[in-house]
Amino acid sequence: MEDISEASDAQLVTSIGRYSEVALAEVYRRHGGAVYGLARRVLNSSVEAEDVTQEVFLRLWNQPDRFDPSRGSLRSFLLAQSHARAVDAIRSLNARRAREIKDASKTARSAYDMQHEAWDLSIADQVARALEALPEEERRVIQMAYFEGHTYVEVAALLDQPEGTVKSRIRSGMRRMRNVLIEAGVQGVES
Amino acid sequence: MKHDEAYELLAALSLDAVEADEREAIEAHVLGCPRCRSELDALLDVAGALGNSVEPLPEGLWSSISSRIYDADDDVHPMPALATNVIALDTASPRRRRSTMTFVTACASVAAAVIIVLAVSLSVESNHVAKLQRQLASNSYAAAAALSAPGHTVVDLTSSTRQNEAEFVLLPDGRGYLVDSQLPALTSGHTYQLWGLIDGKPISIGLMGDKPTSVTFTVSGSKPTLLGITVEPSGGSPTPTNAMIASGTVTD
Repeated sequence: MEDISEASDAQLVTSIGRYSEVALAEVYRRHGGAVYGLARRVLNSSVEAEDVTQEVFLRLWNQPDRFDPSRGSLRSFLLAQSHARAVDAIRSLNARRAREIKDASKTARSAYDMQHEAWDLSIADQVARALEALPEEERRVIQMAYFEGHTYVEVAALLDQPEGTVKSRIRSGMRRMRNVLIEAGVQGVES
Repeated sequence: MKHDEAYELLAALSLDAVEADEREAIEAHVLGCPRCRSELDALLDVAGALGNSVEPLPEGLWSSISSRIYDADDDVHPMPALATNVIALDTASPRRRRSTMTFVTACASVAAAVIIVLAVSLSVESNHVAKLQRQLASNSYAAAAALSAPGHTVVDLTSSTRQNEAEFVLLPDGRGYLVDSQLPALTSGHTYQLWGLIDGKPISIGLMGDKPTSVTFTVSGSKPTLLGITVEPSGGSPTPTNAMIASGTVTD
């Protein structure tokens, strides 16, 4: 019997397709912390982040064929699922709740930064530096969209800028980040 | 949505920063645009890197997920792809060892069903039009299209009491569709599960739900020599826990 800890992510997903709970547990062990960490960061709520994490892994269990290894890593796939669900949750909250989250996130963000454990410190460091290296206007729109769950239309309204400008800044900022990460040798961001 | 318009929004989409209607339009475009798909995949990896930090997992979270695996009984019954390079993993968790039938017995049951049934009817021209009409009437356009596609194979599953208990159409690329079903609705907590016999072993193709009407699946790798259906607890089973209620051989 092959050691499950040595199985590739793609092999694990194949086994999940055959109802292997052991394979799902291994995927959870490898990537659960990242899925939960991102949801918690976006939602600023442990309880809601747990709900999102459950949804992400149940979805992987029920629809493993949605993961296409030729299109990216399993972690990227799971993080995209986690982020989408976290953003959905934020957008379903009423305005009062959304304001509370925004206010709370200002104090919780630093606590997160102090407490979080980077899955790979060198990559986390590279990403942080790539983000910091962006022009302020590009970094700001990406942070508001990704970590605060705003659409580009909302970001434009909040910053009182044209939608086209915000779209362009998100696009140029993401491309700039990708180039920096590629230059730094971070795997999985090449086109 | 036009290519330029979609391309311009890919970065925002990778951050989930578009409206729902825009997302649908972009994703529809991306499906048929390799350039946009490649760009979006790369942007999603950058977004993944951006959010890639690990936090300690709360105690009990895995237990919650594990317990919900078997409770899930959605209206949608996606069909997991059939494994091609299956690794030897211990799939039998204690909770799943509730089978009343051993693996060997299950295989024997499949074989017995083949012997008993022997009634595999492949598609013939005389009933082809009727099948197409049935499919179009039930809005299963994909199944109807498959019935007209070159190289398709129709598999009739019969039980000990009824011919044509269920009928599937398989395409050469591995896609398959439920064409017709006479399977009765199951009681709560149960689901029909479709199996393919490959190298003498029943391999799960997917769940069909408690009252199958529209089922789509993909079989990759070896083509099964037989399709069979069992009744399983909601959430499905890794190996058949009950005898096949209907089966039919797959003939080229």
